[in-house]
Amino acid sequence: MTGDVFDPEQLSRCISCGFCLPACPTYAMTGDEASSPRGRITLMRALQDGTLPPDDGTLAEESSFCLGCRACEPVCPAGVEYGSLLEQWRVHQWRGWRRPLVARALMLLVEQRWLLRLSGLVRRAARGRAVTPAPPPSAPAASALSAPASGAAPAPAAAPGSAAAGGAGAQLMLGCVERGLYPAVSRAARALAPELAVPTAQGCCGALHAHNGDLAGGERLAERLGADLPGTIVTTSGGCAAHLASVLGRDRVRELSTWLADRPAGAELRVGGRRARVTLQDSCHLRNGLGVFAEPRMLLRQVADYVELPSAAACCGAAGTYSLLRPKDSRRILDAKLDEIEAAGVDLVVAVNPGCLRQLRTGLRRRRSAVRAVHLAELLARVESP
Amino acid sequence: MALSATVLAELRGIVGPSHVHDAAGDLVAYARDATPLFSHRPDAVVFPADTAEVAAVLALATRHRVPVVPRGAGSNLCAATVPLRGGIVLVLTRLNAILEVSGDELLARTQPGATSAALADAAAAQGLLWAPDPGSRTVATVGGTIATCAGGLRGLKYGVTRNYVLGLEAVLPTGEVIRTGGRLWKDVAGYDLTRLLTGSEGTLAVITEATVALLPAPASANTGVAYFPTLADAGEAVARVIRAGVVPATLEFLDRACIDAVEDFAHLGLRTDAGALLLFGDDGPPDLVAAHLDRIGAACVEAGAVEVTTAREVAQAEALLAARRCALPALSRRGGVTILEDATVPRPRIAEMVDRIDAIAARHDVAIATFGHAGDGNLHPTCVLDSAEDHDAVRRAEAAFADVFAAAIDLGGTITGEHGVGAAKLPFLAARLGEDQLALLRRIKSAFDPAGILNPGKLGS
Repeated sequence: MTGDVFDPEQLSRCISCGFCLPACPTYAMTGDEASSPRGRITLMRALQDGTLPPDDGTLAEESSFCLGCRACEPVCPAGVEYGSLLEQWRVHQWRGWRRPLVARALMLLVEQRWLLRLSGLVRRAARGRAVTPAPPPSAPAASALSAPASGAAPAPAAAPGSAAAGGAGAQLMLGCVERGLYPAVSRAARALAPELAVPTAQGCCGALHAHNGDLAGGERLAERLGADLPGTIVTTSGGCAAHLASVLGRDRVRELSTWLADRPAGAELRVGGRRARVTLQDSCHLRNGLGVFAEPRMLLRQVADYVELPSAAACCGAAGTYSLLRPKDSRRILDAKLDEIEAAGVDLVVAVNPGCLRQLRTGLRRRRSAVRAVHLAELLARVESP
Repeated sequence: MALSATVLAELRGIVGPSHVHDAAGDLVAYARDATPLFSHRPDAVVFPADTAEVAAVLALATRHRVPVVPRGAGSNLCAATVPLRGGIVLVLTRLNAILEVSGDELLARTQPGATSAALADAAAAQGLLWAPDPGSRTVATVGGTIATCAGGLRGLKYGVTRNYVLGLEAVLPTGEVIRTGGRLWKDVAGYDLTRLLTGSEGTLAVITEATVALLPAPASANTGVAYFPTLADAGEAVARVIRAGVVPATLEFLDRACIDAVEDFAHLGLRTDAGALLLFGDDGPPDLVAAHLDRIGAACVEAGAVEVTTAREVAQAEALLAARRCALPALSRRGGVTILEDATVPRPRIAEMVDRIDAIAARHDVAIATFGHAGDGNLHPTCVLDSAEDHDAVRRAEAAFADVFAAAIDLGGTITGEHGVGAAKLPFLAARLGEDQLALLRRIKSAFDPAGILNPGKLGS
């Protein structure tokens, strides 16, 4: 009766070798097969063939406990597309009222275009409550980084190669989370790549929907965004990039670091009279979904001393809406990450995705850490125009 | 057989309520390991935290006659951790501390749930080498590596796991804790229970701590690749390498199908037009490694290699070895079910064995690709089927492998070189050991496990 939840071809690709286990953050927490990718695929198979009833408690728990970070994909020799299976799983698991309320509310919100525009106006309130980092006491250059954040939202497109004309040029995607929380990121991206058009008439890419059990909604929104932004879409969000690429095709979508990769380096970033020490937190979907991780590192190496964290590729616990839906688990994952960041003696930790940025900023602020979290675009824009 | 409420309550009392799982979904997740075609649900999954909890669970199980299957990461390929008779799966992943690494004594003490790679890393941090190197090392636990006496890519020079186990702490099914061996290389007091437990596949006792021998880490290591027109040419190269007096650390071969699959996954730039490749490597002082690699390369050219290259940097050598480690799962990209087997023949008979496997595959109308450890005669014939639902194809594959094992024994070899017997090879064990020895195995089993609760349906059953 439940035989149509998953694409059977994708489901059969897993041979249960278990090579995914060491890559999985939730398996690392529990040591429990059921919370590993292999175990979850076994559960999916049981759901598909009716061995487990659709309302089984373990099915519900594990579909929600999974971060969806897709760290299991690059290490899977058999080529299982786990992220896609998880999306299919949640379509079934989180149907209708069973979808978490927070996710439902957020999904509804980001679908309102007028609200996205409005959010730029009220962002100060949002930032003030949630994410404004305290300026570190002894990091003059770093505190200068926060300067762009106090400006206005990106101006409406008065840009060359207008998007409305049918998409000859490339356009900057604003992103629904960034519009609300981090408008400075989009502004910095625009300063770095002035050739990008920035149409304000653009909605949400639908990644939020796809990851929260509304695959059809996620596709519909991505297609609508693709129509709003014909041609190449440049985004400052790893999560949006991966989702858009999965719907619109890889050739349509560029994450900012790959767009900037060939440009000459800016001036070096200095903190307290020396070259800054920076590290990168990968965006899971950017790294595991699109295989992009070299470019942001290359850009950072040009302007600062780059420190690679052992867990740079491992999820920070933000995972889209995860930090809202499962705050305790999210915190456990983040805490280990923050310990590592603080031990590394860096000035800045750089994110390439707004969710990771929010997670890291909130965590570092809670610890009153001297380390600051910034988006790659903010850091580079600061370097470009000191 | 569902467990009674009394047993479940006692289990929860021993390890804590959150460490006993008996919901249907949790049981499904523990119904299988990495072995295809074997699956059976346990009645409870129990996660003990220490030796005392393991002992209490086993004593309880013996008292109530409940089967117990100890399990690490479940990466084994012989169905050793499938709970064929239900009961308790005893998961040892919480016992994952590496307790000690001693450079002076060249040993480490570890709990069973640490991964083989974690132990290797801890050893490397002190300039030491944990020699056993199974393909699944990043996943596989040390406990499982010892319980199956796993081998790996360095087997030719370094042997299998049993050469490195100095002592064990283990819990008998009746709940007594024993310590076998210890910290000494030379210790001949009594029967060698350390070796008996190594490779016993969780049928005699549950390993709760291991003291293992480490080696000084070799100063350098390098790897090379030689391509051949046919697998027979590669086999000839192996014979020439050994005759040249070189015992390399690694001497692996892949046939054309395996090269294709690995290249598909790892994108290393392997030549996919070759009929076979030999991956060779050695470790030791840099000049000796270079000299050995030169001699191996020359032997390969004499045997008809069309191209021989060595890795230019360490990262590349690591990538080659990593690719070889994942040959099995990579092969699965070719179809729905991948059955990998493990047979060993004396080194000079490798080419003959490969020919026989080809003939067997043709006779049963199945596709069998072969890769393996050419240096020690350990082959992994691997059959890829479109679907497990194709029952006729599954039957043909099983018949083919029965013939493969018979061929291995016929050539003076064995039915498993490194994966273990488990449930998958048990039907072939009599052909290898003979009835008298099997009967002795059963008597040993009942001496350790009078109630027959530990991993029933496996060795000693």
